[in-house]
Amino acid sequence: MILQDVILFALELFAYIAIYLIVNEGLNIQLGVTGVTQFGLVFSVSGGAFTAGYLATRLGVWVFHVNTGGLDFINGNIVLTTEVNSFTKSQPLNGFFLLLLVLIAAAVVGAVLGIISSVPAINLRADYLGITLLAFGEILNTFGTAYTPLIGGPPGVIVPDVWAWAGGSRFAASTLTLMVLAGVAYLYIEYVIRTPLGRTLRAIRDNEVAAQSLGKNLPRCRLQAIVIGSVLASMGGALFVLYAGSVTPSFTRYTWTFIPWLMLLLGGLGSNVGTLVGTTAWFTIYDLILYYKYALQGVLPFDVVWLNYLLLGVVVMLILIFRPQGLIPEKPLRTGREKKSSTQ
Amino acid sequence: MALFEPITVAQALIFASLLSLMGVGVTLLYKTTKVPNFAHASFVTLGGYVNFSLIAAFHWNPYLGLPVAFVVVGGESLLLFFLVLEPLRKRKSSVALLMIATLAWHITLLGFLGAYADSLQTFLRVPTRNVVLSYLDFTFGGLPGIFFVSITVTLVAAVALYFAIERTTIGIALRASMENQNLAESVGINTTRMLGIAWFLAAGLAGVAGALLPMWTLLNTSSGDTLIAAMFCVSIVGGLETLYGAFAGGVILALAQIVGTTMLANLVGVWLTGYEPVVPLLLMSIVLLTNPKGVGGMSVWKRLKR
Repeated sequence: MILQDVILFALELFAYIAIYLIVNEGLNIQLGVTGVTQFGLVFSVSGGAFTAGYLATRLGVWVFHVNTGGLDFINGNIVLTTEVNSFTKSQPLNGFFLLLLVLIAAAVVGAVLGIISSVPAINLRADYLGITLLAFGEILNTFGTAYTPLIGGPPGVIVPDVWAWAGGSRFAASTLTLMVLAGVAYLYIEYVIRTPLGRTLRAIRDNEVAAQSLGKNLPRCRLQAIVIGSVLASMGGALFVLYAGSVTPSFTRYTWTFIPWLMLLLGGLGSNVGTLVGTTAWFTIYDLILYYKYALQGVLPFDVVWLNYLLLGVVVMLILIFRPQGLIPEKPLRTGREKKSSTQ
Repeated sequence: MALFEPITVAQALIFASLLSLMGVGVTLLYKTTKVPNFAHASFVTLGGYVNFSLIAAFHWNPYLGLPVAFVVVGGESLLLFFLVLEPLRKRKSSVALLMIATLAWHITLLGFLGAYADSLQTFLRVPTRNVVLSYLDFTFGGLPGIFFVSITVTLVAAVALYFAIERTTIGIALRASMENQNLAESVGINTTRMLGIAWFLAAGLAGVAGALLPMWTLLNTSSGDTLIAAMFCVSIVGGLETLYGAFAGGVILALAQIVGTTMLANLVGVWLTGYEPVVPLLLMSIVLLTNPKGVGGMSVWKRLKR
């Protein structure tokens, strides 16, 4: 019984680490590697999440040839999703196919949102850009709330369970899938950092004028980095929705911009290993806090949820002041030519 | 049918006053410390709760709390400036790190305010969320007192700021520190103290705006958060480099948001009001993409001067 609780706890922890790692890799390529002041990460994340909310049931109906019986996807949301779930229960391959379709859709939406946010990113200075992206971050929540056909307004919608086939081990299956996907995202960013594009991005971040004088196309490189990051963040948002099973227009800049920033700062800006370490470390600390926090509930005259805000804000300020390079600072890239040039 | 009622215009003017008080602080801090201050949102909320506490605990007149809110929020911002931003600035941290530091301060203050509002509710047994205080207001000539008070406070603040910055010795030192910090230091100006004064003034004005907020609309621990886009919009529309532009920005945004949306909602349909939060974002992007220096930085004014 206790063992089961521990396993479920660990599975959920790893699932969240995996989802956040995907989002954080997206932030790392934008903020850490390229130096874009991305205060509107929640823009792409909510874009991917709403895409999943809007499309998952529709795609499920299409994949499994469900007879909608004239129901629309908001009022008939629960009926149709249950109908799709009855198919995913017995067809694992089609479940994965559905997952893949949703991810592709989220990636496309993420790319479009990335192109949109690259317009200010190319034209504006770091401070103006930060303001603009922060202000635009939560705009999709406004649309999600006001435009009910998207995801049903404030109550939200439920989405099909693409891991329903696993039955009792649904959480094991979903966590494993998420961890594999997070691993792919991690290796992909590791690869991008090592490509000429990645090195150019770092050069632009460290010295814009020098990079320009070497003939690097600044706007195009920035656009590429932002689109890559936005696609990853959007896929992270979609996976979050598929994992949780529902979506509401409540993606805040606290959860999906500030906390990813915190994890990156903790691990070390621009360092890919740092992103992994920061994400894992933060979640471990956070779960410990969560565990002990509820012991204080009732003793304190206020809701313990506020302790999160207090603590996280203070932690970020302490990192900024005392260890701005993070736990694992970014290292110079090895190209394999250092030795040769030093002996010459 | 009239497109909008006179009361809508009065509402817009109240909103314009409050927005100007917030926006002028954003601009002042940007000009002095070169950092967009995301903590401005919680400065506003803090001001609101300072005033509300005085009313709830000591039954003060709602307008008596304004100076207290000014001092408390101003003093709190000095903590942010001296404890967090100065160490970072001394190490020449990038603007991105300064921005995340202000955001971290904002989140900390948000946690503090939430805990404080809960505690207040526990000890005083008064609801501390969705606070409305307009029932304490007086009316004059059919208009609520907040209409006159907010406009007066904003005008007084504008005039006082103008005289303090343009006419006093400290103001000259402050402007020198804004223009060129190294040069100002070389003639013996303590620029850190000057920046501290700027933070105190800017945050104090935000606190006053926050203290006035529950007289006009609901006060929540998230009030500042919902207004943060509007604050930056005001500051950018007015021109981040032009201090007094924020007052123009406040009027423009308030008219666009309240009168504009009411008019359009009457013309197109009520469903449109759900999209009201988009207005500041649209206005901001139009200004940023066409004329990033804002209204105050437009060449028209320079031409008029000659």
